[in-house]
Amino acid sequence: MPKRTPSNPWTKPAGKPIEGKAIPRPRRTAEVQAYLPEFLRGMAITMRHFFKNTKEMMLGQKPDPVLEALNEGVTTICYPEEKRPYPERFRGLHRLTLRDDGSPRCVACLCCSTACPAQCIHIEAGEYAEGDKRRGYERYPKTFVIDELRCIFCGFCVEACPCDAIRMDTGIHATPYDSREQFIYRKDLLMEFTGRDGSRTSANPRHEPGDPTHPGLSREQMDH
Amino acid sequence: MATIKIDGREIPFEQGDTIIKAAHRAGIDIPHYCWHPGLSVAANCRMCLVEVAPPPGRPALQLDILRWDPEKKDYVPARKPKLVPACQQACAPGMEVLSEGSDHVEEARGAVQELLLLNHPVDCPICDQAGECRLQDYWLEHQGTGKRMQQEVVHKPKAVVFGPTIVYDAERCIVCTRCVRFTAEIAKDPILSVRERGNLNEIVVSPDRELDHDYTLMTEHVCPVGALTSKDFRFKARVWFLRSARTICQGCATGCNAYLDYDPRTNTPHRHRPRDNEEVNKYWMCDEGMLSYKRAVEGRLGAALVGGEDASLEDALAAAKDQLAGIKDDPARVAVVLSAQHSNEDNYALLTLAKTFIGAKDLYVSGRPLGRGDEILMSEDKNPNTLGVMQLANAPAPKPIAALFDAIKAGKYSFVIALGAEIEVEAKDAESALSKLKGVVTIAAHDGPLARAAHVALPATAWAEQDGTYVNRQGLAQKSERALKARGDARPGWELVSKLGKELGYAMTFKTLAEVRRAMTPEAPAPSRDADRAAKPEVSA
Ligand code: SF4
Ligand code: SF4
Ligand code: SF4
Ligand code: SF4
Ligand code: FES
Repeated sequence: MPKRTPSNPWTKPAGKPIEGKAIPRPRRTAEVQAYLPEFLRGMAITMRHFFKNTKEMMLGQKPDPVLEALNEGVTTICYPEEKRPYPERFRGLHRLTLRDDGSPRCVACLCCSTACPAQCIHIEAGEYAEGDKRRGYERYPKTFVIDELRCIFCGFCVEACPCDAIRMDTGIHATPYDSREQFIYRKDLLMEFTGRDGSRTSANPRHEPGDPTHPGLSREQMDH
Repeated sequence: MATIKIDGREIPFEQGDTIIKAAHRAGIDIPHYCWHPGLSVAANCRMCLVEVAPPPGRPALQLDILRWDPEKKDYVPARKPKLVPACQQACAPGMEVLSEGSDHVEEARGAVQELLLLNHPVDCPICDQAGECRLQDYWLEHQGTGKRMQQEVVHKPKAVVFGPTIVYDAERCIVCTRCVRFTAEIAKDPILSVRERGNLNEIVVSPDRELDHDYTLMTEHVCPVGALTSKDFRFKARVWFLRSARTICQGCATGCNAYLDYDPRTNTPHRHRPRDNEEVNKYWMCDEGMLSYKRAVEGRLGAALVGGEDASLEDALAAAKDQLAGIKDDPARVAVVLSAQHSNEDNYALLTLAKTFIGAKDLYVSGRPLGRGDEILMSEDKNPNTLGVMQLANAPAPKPIAALFDAIKAGKYSFVIALGAEIEVEAKDAESALSKLKGVVTIAAHDGPLARAAHVALPATAWAEQDGTYVNRQGLAQKSERALKARGDARPGWELVSKLGKELGYAMTFKTLAEVRRAMTPEAPAPSRDADRAAKPEVSA
């Protein structure tokens, strides 16, 4: 037997009058008709809050809207002069962290762009130029582009990065630009941003091979 | 056939087989680094340790060891069986081997893996092997724990240039000596060797030499880790973005089986690497072949040319019709050039047009000139399908293209229809000869002398952009798979031939590749790709 498609209770069955309970209209009393008393009642509530808030503001009794947001009293803030602090792990715009020598920590491994569900990271790997001390054994991103308009701020890229090279700790919201081109963030811009603490480097320093701090490596045989 | 038992599974072996070889053939994977089916046995990585049961009636060979007892908080004496490397132990009838099924083996594999990674830099993000690295795979399968060594690792030279194609990173090397054995045994040029002992050892090139023979890229390919990298592929792509097509190398008449790894997102080929085929190339390919993948995109004819100017395909076909007007009056004045560079299908389509429809009497064959050959793989004939063309057009046998230009000079022909862009003779001679003719139409994938001299050139797909059959020097017909999407206006050669035939007013009806193949071998059922695949298990060491 073919299955009957279950009827949708919200549509009128064909050929049948709509059944249901008739709901009476509210009675149009003189009080409702003349809306003025209701308006005054609303105004009264507004004014009560207005005077109370003004008084508390004058007397310095305003609760901290950031920390005591659930308390009685004024709970609005004067953005952007006042800002609510974001939680430690708030995901803002991306940035690329730098090494001490100013080079990008990113090694263009493409782990972030592999992990990115929105596929909005585009990287081209390159080799350092002739004469560079990292030439030959390390890669760097020749281009690094993030389409912030496609990004869904999931943070997977940050999780995926094995070098702590990409972070979302700038604390910056996506800025309202008016053209798509402006949301295409390129390497230079991403390397300009700082973390919320103002630093361009990362909190996880690492002895890179080739750094003077890196123990035990001699590069005598490494002409390339 | 005599059998051995691996984890309770009976598998047959041939006289002289090692355990790992018999297992490999049966599709059982015993983890290994230093063993390679095509190389001699070194048994130095110890990853393939297995437990072999003692012969009936004999006690097992046991070793006295100390094992940590967490309850007593002390080492207590214990015994464990002596494990043997499966890559070195020869099979004997009735032998019982425990591989996955033995706790001792599992423990040993974890320990070997930990040892190999003690000094390893694990710079996988920078390493080109990441994604196809044995160390990564086996770590996950057999170890999965952190390493206990706290000391700073031993640092060895990084990015040592071995030659024009290869860069070596001693830190990542696990000294399996596969590369050493490969250069000595297969490339017959023993210029690599191991220096120092223990955890200081590294691979070095002979003094005053460079790794520059014809098989350098193979050393990179046999390296199970990222110690050897090829300059050509370094940092270009990450392997997990690549797809592989099963192709036939176009470098020479040997017809090595290969994988063409390409990035489908950008339609770019990135490397050629060998595909195992015992009968043709075993496990190897030469440098020239491995780099020949570039020809799929370089020097291509992207659009049709009419008198040297870009044109649409329709316009070019119409121009071809004009050029070839009068072809029906005297078929003897038409010369048809087949191409040893093109697949059987393309050549067959042109042959059908020439013989069945036009009635042309004279066939020629074009191709690349002879080059260097060797005893290992490389043929002097640098065309992948010479034998295929000869077999298709057996009577009368097509003549070499030099004869065509002589005949043109003698005023024998007015029209030439040609496949392919490469000719063995001087390009200038060819151009001056062809310019005398009334109509020259070429179907070519590359911009070559034949395409430039033609009045109308139609853009064909390169081998990487179409399925095709090629007959190698042994007479084996091998199929090559399409990898890339066609560039520009390029269409498969047989399709262009068919279009040209229609334009000229013949009943050429080839619409799909399957039709061409059916016409070529009417009795054989069309082989399905899946059947092909099932017939040859894909194993790679
Ligand atoms: S936050 Fe998510 S969507 Fe945005 S770039 Fe990173 S991985 Fe992609
Ligand atoms: S940002 Fe990190 S994950 Fe992305 S490519 Fe660079 S190193 Fe790799
Ligand atoms: S060889 Fe390369 S990919 Fe493999 S473990 Fe070492 S660094 Fe990582
Ligand atoms: S370079 Fe590679 S193939 Fe050669 S010994 Fe080292 S790990 Fe083995
Ligand atoms: S594979 Fe057997 S010891 Fe290396």
